[in-house]
Amino acid sequence: MTPPPAESVAAMIRPAPVRVDSKVNRDLLRVMEGASVGYWVLLHLAVAFMLAAGGWWIYQVYRGLGIVGYRHPVFWGAYIVTFVFWVGIAHAGTLISAILYLFRAKWRNAINRSAEAMTVFAVLTAAQFLGIHVGRIWKSYFILPYPNQRALWVNFKSPLLWDTFAITTYATTSILFLYIGLVPDLAIARDRSTGWRRVLYAVLSLGWQGTSKQWKAQNRAVLHLSGLATPLVLSVHSVVSWDFAMSIVPTWHATIFAPYFVAGAIFSGFAMVLTMMIPVRRIFGLEEYITDYHFENMSRFLLLTSLIVGYAYLSEYFIAWYGHVEPESTEFWMRAFGPYWMSSWTMIICNAFVPQIFWFKWARTHVPTVFIVSVLVNIGMWFERYVIIVGGLSREYDPAAWGVYTPSWGELLIVAGSFGFFAQFFLIFLKLFPVVAIAEVKEIEIHSKAHGEVGH
Amino acid sequence: MAELDRREFLKLVGTSAGAAAAVGCSDLPEKLIPYVVQPEEITPGLPVIYASTCQECSAGCGVHVRTREGRPIKLEGNPEHPINRGKLCARGQAGLGRTYHPDRYQSALERDASGALAPVAWDQAIARLGAAVSAAGRRTAVLTSPLGPTLSGLLDSWLAATGGGMRVEYEPFAPEALRHAAEVVFGVASVPVFDLSDTDFVIDFGSDCLSTGLSPVEHARQLSAARDAAKESARAARLVYVGPRLDETASQSDEWLAPKPGTEGILALAIARAAVDAATGPDGEIGVAASAIARQLSGFGADAVAARTEVPAETIRRIGASLARARRPVALPPGVALSSSRATSTAAAVLFLNAAIGAVGHTVQVPPAPSRAPSFRDTTRLIEAMKAGDVDVLIVHGANPVHTLPSASGFAAALGKVKLVVSIASMPDETSALAHLVLPDHTTAESWGDAAPRPGVRSIVQPTLRPLYDTRAFGDTLLDTARAIGAAAAANLPAGSFRSAVEAAWKDTNWRAALQRGGVFDGGAWSSPGIAEGVARLQFKEPEIAGDGDFVLLAVPSPMLGDGRGANLGLLQETPDPITKIAWQSWAEISTKSADSLGVRPGDVLAVETASGKLEVPVWPRGGLRNDVVAIAFGQGHTVGSFAAATPDEYSTGLRAGERPAPGPARGVNVNAILPAQSDESGGRAFLVAKAKVGKTGRFQRLPYTQGTDNKRGRLLGESISLAALAAGGPSPWAPNETPGHVPGALAAVPAAAEHGETGERRAAAGHGGEHEILRAYDPVNDSVAEDPYRWGMTIDVDKCTGCSACIVACAVENNIPTVGESLILRNRTMQWIRIERWIGEGEPVLEPARPDVESREQLGNVDVRNAPMLCQHCGAAPCEPVCPVFATYHSPSGLNGMTYNRCIGTRYCSNNCPYKVRRFNWFDYQIERWPDPMGLGLNPDVTVRAQGVMEKCTFCVQRIQAARLTAKGEKRAVAAGEVQTACQQTCPTGAIVFDNLKLADNKAGAAANANAGRTYHALHPVNTRPAITYLAKVAREEGHEA
Repeated sequence: MTPPPAESVAAMIRPAPVRVDSKVNRDLLRVMEGASVGYWVLLHLAVAFMLAAGGWWIYQVYRGLGIVGYRHPVFWGAYIVTFVFWVGIAHAGTLISAILYLFRAKWRNAINRSAEAMTVFAVLTAAQFLGIHVGRIWKSYFILPYPNQRALWVNFKSPLLWDTFAITTYATTSILFLYIGLVPDLAIARDRSTGWRRVLYAVLSLGWQGTSKQWKAQNRAVLHLSGLATPLVLSVHSVVSWDFAMSIVPTWHATIFAPYFVAGAIFSGFAMVLTMMIPVRRIFGLEEYITDYHFENMSRFLLLTSLIVGYAYLSEYFIAWYGHVEPESTEFWMRAFGPYWMSSWTMIICNAFVPQIFWFKWARTHVPTVFIVSVLVNIGMWFERYVIIVGGLSREYDPAAWGVYTPSWGELLIVAGSFGFFAQFFLIFLKLFPVVAIAEVKEIEIHSKAHGEVGH
Repeated sequence: MAELDRREFLKLVGTSAGAAAAVGCSDLPEKLIPYVVQPEEITPGLPVIYASTCQECSAGCGVHVRTREGRPIKLEGNPEHPINRGKLCARGQAGLGRTYHPDRYQSALERDASGALAPVAWDQAIARLGAAVSAAGRRTAVLTSPLGPTLSGLLDSWLAATGGGMRVEYEPFAPEALRHAAEVVFGVASVPVFDLSDTDFVIDFGSDCLSTGLSPVEHARQLSAARDAAKESARAARLVYVGPRLDETASQSDEWLAPKPGTEGILALAIARAAVDAATGPDGEIGVAASAIARQLSGFGADAVAARTEVPAETIRRIGASLARARRPVALPPGVALSSSRATSTAAAVLFLNAAIGAVGHTVQVPPAPSRAPSFRDTTRLIEAMKAGDVDVLIVHGANPVHTLPSASGFAAALGKVKLVVSIASMPDETSALAHLVLPDHTTAESWGDAAPRPGVRSIVQPTLRPLYDTRAFGDTLLDTARAIGAAAAANLPAGSFRSAVEAAWKDTNWRAALQRGGVFDGGAWSSPGIAEGVARLQFKEPEIAGDGDFVLLAVPSPMLGDGRGANLGLLQETPDPITKIAWQSWAEISTKSADSLGVRPGDVLAVETASGKLEVPVWPRGGLRNDVVAIAFGQGHTVGSFAAATPDEYSTGLRAGERPAPGPARGVNVNAILPAQSDESGGRAFLVAKAKVGKTGRFQRLPYTQGTDNKRGRLLGESISLAALAAGGPSPWAPNETPGHVPGALAAVPAAAEHGETGERRAAAGHGGEHEILRAYDPVNDSVAEDPYRWGMTIDVDKCTGCSACIVACAVENNIPTVGESLILRNRTMQWIRIERWIGEGEPVLEPARPDVESREQLGNVDVRNAPMLCQHCGAAPCEPVCPVFATYHSPSGLNGMTYNRCIGTRYCSNNCPYKVRRFNWFDYQIERWPDPMGLGLNPDVTVRAQGVMEKCTFCVQRIQAARLTAKGEKRAVAAGEVQTACQQTCPTGAIVFDNLKLADNKAGAAANANAGRTYHALHPVNTRPAITYLAKVAREEGHEA
């Protein structure tokens, strides 16, 4: 037996070569380092909006909801509109993480972290509106079924109660999902950070060592959570839609609402992911990880959901005409040509027409176009909820009690503040946690390499 | 000391900790302070009721003042009083607001060197007045509203004792023309009494008798009873209205003629002639006056008059013939709005017509002439004297001439020449703001007094609470002043207080019994006079309406504010006008056609200009108005008063009792500013005297209205049925399969109804019921727990509802409903639990463009107006109940749709899901903001004042139900039929609202529905909410169905 050549011994005793994944780690963790002036400006802006809205909200609690633009009979306004909007936004994350995970859609790996984070923040933002909107925030705990001596219980028949459960369940699940996925990345961050960050990541990474047993457990947890979360994607917005569909308000009371709202939610969620990720990719130079391929796929999703939503619009009008129920057909006519015609057409054009551009590959792969479309879809989806909620309430059964609502400046400030609230979380998240799932990106790379070798 | 063992210790610790926690958790504890000496008649928690008299107008309705723990909280009609029989109008209901008004003067005031009113001691003030009066002597003048007999007598003696000053009785809307006409026609200078009970044909020549006429509550009650659609004999009784504007009475009428304004008298004569012509044979009644009448009627053939009045000759003949045929007809003379410069002859013409159709002595009674009557001529003389400097002391009581007299009369300027102006007002108005001395009177609720609205009716005013402030009854002020002047002056006046004077005046009666009943009511002596000789002197021709301009200015009394005296009552300002549904503002009505030709839309500000002045006022185009008329209501345009004048948005924030806002910008416009000071032939004030130029200003002012459309789009809301269809019998076209009367007997026909307990109901309500449950006849009785002895329900007769809005005000007073003010009405934030929806015809589902204007579907001559009160329907399958996440709104075992304010978190989902939109939300902390001191004293202690952020709505006056149940329980019996009356039902002058326990066999609501089974409907029935309120459709009394 001949001894190995000296050179190879030397090679053996040399420190290990730089690992192949180091570039991924470096690239993706660099996002968390330092902060540009622009970042601080954005963060301050977001916090400022949030604080301004908070100040207004405190005044509103003190003074009463009367300072808001509500006008009988429109008792739900911009607050509920924005609530539904944010719940909708929250859908992309779970869809990407859970359903696409189950379908093994590999392209999701680059965007799932940001989508999951968005989900959590969007749900948190949405939840604020439940409190902002009620008349007596100081008694709003009545809505929780807590045991009490007066034997008061909640009304399980009320869609608002289902809503409460749906939102809390969804928030819990999506936080867990985000966190479980984060653990391996937190460990990477822990290994490469110093100071308070190291302590933070050490605590949060739960002693992750990357052993195969841990990987197995983590994979299993993700799989099971996906299984749990998948029905949630469909149920949460279904429940939110039942806030409307279970009532007898013409234009709300429709069986189509659950699928219609779920499709709309996914539609707006994907649009929001695009709106957020396109600038992030540009600013942090993540083109290698979040590729145009991802954007193209998401554009396809937008196209699909836009078609579903557009179909829902058509079907609503068809049923209103075909059903021959005068209050309902009147309301739908009013929706298109009445006081809210601008909102209605904004909704129809932004949601049903604009995304049709994605039939063309050049549009799907041209990032500025994708960005603009995603922003328009976000606007369109806000107006969709506005048209449904406000328009539906303004002209109901009794023509003596019709009224036209327009949001007050205070409400719009709170709507703006909700974006600040959301953006603030997202911006902080960018600097604290890996915005692209490092482990999963690597997993894909390893897989593709392995496949490449097999191919040789 | 007893041994403290472990258990004892734990008990003590537990109790004290619990007590501490309980105290710590709640708001600051409030103490209920018990009486030191318990008054015998007061049981805390139970109301004590006193009889008194309403002083809001001169009709003199009797009231029952409901007091709780020494505070009056609600007025209700005195059922024994012959004028109103237990009913009150909106203004009467709001009357208590004067006592608890934040503006009230709290002491005597004197204008100080700086020109501001400063408190002064009463003795000093009386001394000053005494000195001034004794110095002025005959140069003293007293201007009062019509006074009760005792006070009036006292004032006469006072004037005699203090030097013989001038006394003027002034009432802005006094029926002077009618009184003079009666003098000319019958030789008796008194206001005839028109009795509409059991009539079968009424023709009203523009007095708006159901709203602002001579005695609205009485006439509304009588007329609705006379044409009760449940009675086959009565249901065809006709009401014909003559006037240029579709007002409340026109809306109730079966035929509406809009002749040229001012020609009503000529029309009346032509109709009289047609009636005489139609009456064939030796008809005794017409024969009586035939000679005198025939002479007068010779020139008034239908054809000639048709051209002058623009009413077709056939119509005149037809109505004349109908009147001649009628069994008990009556014609009502014009009211304020149509008092032209020939008002006396117009009124005389109508009295003529009454004579011609034989109404005099039956439906028209002429009481003996009163000793004193309001006189515009006297008022004018007083102004002349003031201008000439002949008046040194002017005492003004109960009137606001600065506001109610035409600006052209120059009263305000003349006031400047009076050395001492004394106001007796209890709260500020435009006149008292110019006074040198304010000696505030008690309010009615604090006063003694009496009233004699007509012969045979003597009514008492008695106090129900101790005066809140340092005020003094006018009678006592007079007595004290006389005593201050000297013993000689006082000698001829009664000794003691004004109260003892009242008691002395009632010596001839059983005082205690009178106090208990509210007065002495006997038949009274009525003369049945013939036609007097003076008739021949009357000349009938069109009045001259002066000025250039295309429009006749029609100044109409406001149903809520009257001549303006109601303007400082927030509740009346807040209650929308029954016709236009506008609150808190003035508006000018022109026809939609005129609006189109002027190019104005609702809310565009018009300039209305007469020879006397110019007003800028937002326009409200209507179809129900002649093209040549511009109508503006009296009442607004005040510059003084928290509610009357324009006030900052949050009028009450920081406003406390006695802090009076300085005179500020006016709220709305005062039409007196552009009315010339003109009188009719006999000296009464004429209102229909000016033509106006109407032009655009280019400005826009959004009007605070509470109903934006009168198009019900064919939805099941305010229904109407023709008399022919009703007479044909058969089930209701809207509810053919429903049990109309919901009386238990009817249940037998319904299979499986007996075992319908709560579960069955709930299942049916949720839509999961078996087929038989869905298809079975709907009967609200089923919508309460089967074992529960109650199911509260209501029947509302749209045919009887005149839209007078008394129910709205009664409800607000009973249920502590806040007024929210103009700025919030503009945002549809009214809090009223009941509204009256006004629909024109069936409507059609038209689709309007983007922001539609308020559209008027009224048409000249069209009387298909449906007033449908809308309140919580207490649905059996209430859409609001399942959507509340916290059970704040729930179904009570007795079928009530309950509302637990304490549990409400304010998601407002219930309101969104209510198809009737009757839920109200507390946008602000109204309990603090809208009841400035001392308004809170008038709150009903049985009803929670709702906090910020909770939902509220009609409870069917659950506090009254509860009180009746407790009483019945105490007496070990069930609540009887008709025992509980809701506030709206109690006051409804026409009895359109009937409430009862539907489970009683003899319940009144069910009986009302059963008696009208052919016209029952449930509002928005297709939504399947199973409401507890059954509506009865309006009856369209078409031609040819006359009795």
